[in-house]
Amino acid sequence: MIISKREKKKENKYHIRWIYFYLTEGCNLKCRHCWIAPKYQNEKKSFPSLGLDLFISIIKQAKQLGLRSVKLTGGEPLLHPKIYDILKFIQSEDIRLVVETNGTLCTPEITKEISKCKNPFVSVSLDGSNSETHEWVRGVKGCFNASVDGIKNLVKTGLKPQIIFTIMRRNKDQLEDIVHLAESLGAGSIKFNILQPIARGEKMHKLDEVLTIKELIDLGKWVNNKLSSLTKLHLYYDQPLAFCPLSKMFSKDGSGCSTCAILSIIGVLADGSYALCGIGSTVPELIFGNAVNDSLYDIWNNSSVLVELRNGLPEKLEGICNRCLMKNICLGSCIAQNYYRTKNLWAPYWFCKEASEQGLFPETRINPNF
Amino acid sequence: MSSKNKPIANPLVVLREEFDEWAILFDPDSGNAFGLSPIGVFIWKLLDGNYTIEEILRKINNNFEDVSENAKEDINNFIKQLVEQGMVGYEMNRIDKN
Repeated sequence: MIISKREKKKENKYHIRWIYFYLTEGCNLKCRHCWIAPKYQNEKKSFPSLGLDLFISIIKQAKQLGLRSVKLTGGEPLLHPKIYDILKFIQSEDIRLVVETNGTLCTPEITKEISKCKNPFVSVSLDGSNSETHEWVRGVKGCFNASVDGIKNLVKTGLKPQIIFTIMRRNKDQLEDIVHLAESLGAGSIKFNILQPIARGEKMHKLDEVLTIKELIDLGKWVNNKLSSLTKLHLYYDQPLAFCPLSKMFSKDGSGCSTCAILSIIGVLADGSYALCGIGSTVPELIFGNAVNDSLYDIWNNSSVLVELRNGLPEKLEGICNRCLMKNICLGSCIAQNYYRTKNLWAPYWFCKEASEQGLFPETRINPNF
Repeated sequence: MSSKNKPIANPLVVLREEFDEWAILFDPDSGNAFGLSPIGVFIWKLLDGNYTIEEILRKINNNFEDVSENAKEDINNFIKQLVEQGMVGYEMNRIDKN
């Protein structure tokens, strides 16, 4: 299979396939690594969320532009005061639903409504195989059991939730245990995320609470080559494609490697802002307008950043990303992260840059002509 | 015998084998890359102008288990893709001595 060609589409021929809705400004957990950094919401204090009418209007406009799927995330999407109405509307529009949640609010009633949506997929964050570790990460006592109960409710409804486990120094020895826990709960897969140096995650990087690049690469090899063979669960180690084995990327029975569909996504923040993705909550220049005043058609077709990305990816990528043979499918891994770090859309991905500087970037994936 | 039916690899294209027996074919001229499965790597190594598709298929059957019934068609499609990428060609107007 070809891994180095991407057909450029004619201007304005890009479809919105995904909307990522960051539904709530608040979250009921205080995760120390969160890249969105929402405000902590509890019984005493709540924060704004995306209005239902605006949500409906955005979906209706986006369907004209090719929308197929929505991801509800946050904050914590299930905190939204009208989450049932949102789910019922998604059911009525026959669009695919993905939910990213901390699981604490996955009641039997909500999971039932989620399960009625088209091809629903739910991922639940668990950053430790025990309450002590998970709650150290998530900052709220009792949230481990609440998340586990949420996963059980999802499974009872017939869903196969994915557990998302963000790797940090504190939990690096719990990968095998989280696999066992996921198996016992009936989860469908586990995604091991690398902690991004954005917002609160940036602080953790500065405090050396994350693994080194070498440790992350070695751990990835162990997950792909060893841990995967010990379980029937699909394990995804979310590293840049240059580090992903081809057998994982392309083999029919492999678990695949994920990429960001940057050219077919738009983000909507809780205040109605259109943005590249959730990065708009920390980088205002990656907000393109607001659903209250702007038509989605105009934003999608005329936003200078989106047009620039369509015209420039992947050729304009710089540094190691420019030399990488995976660049046509990897597309710089995470443009939001790259911009956050450098204020340059074309900057190389931090992980690949550091790996390259340390002589750890796979030579077979580099174009020697650059 | 004419070698028009015996595919031959572009000698400029580089095969980069990885740890899991998969590999990347890299064309330094175009910058194009192609991911190869272990069976693709096996086929690539036979593209020296000495083997027909039938002979390649025979070697695959002798070296791999559970070969697909559509293997011949798969090989043809695989080589067609490589030809389209300029990574494989056919030696023209040559008469083999054997």
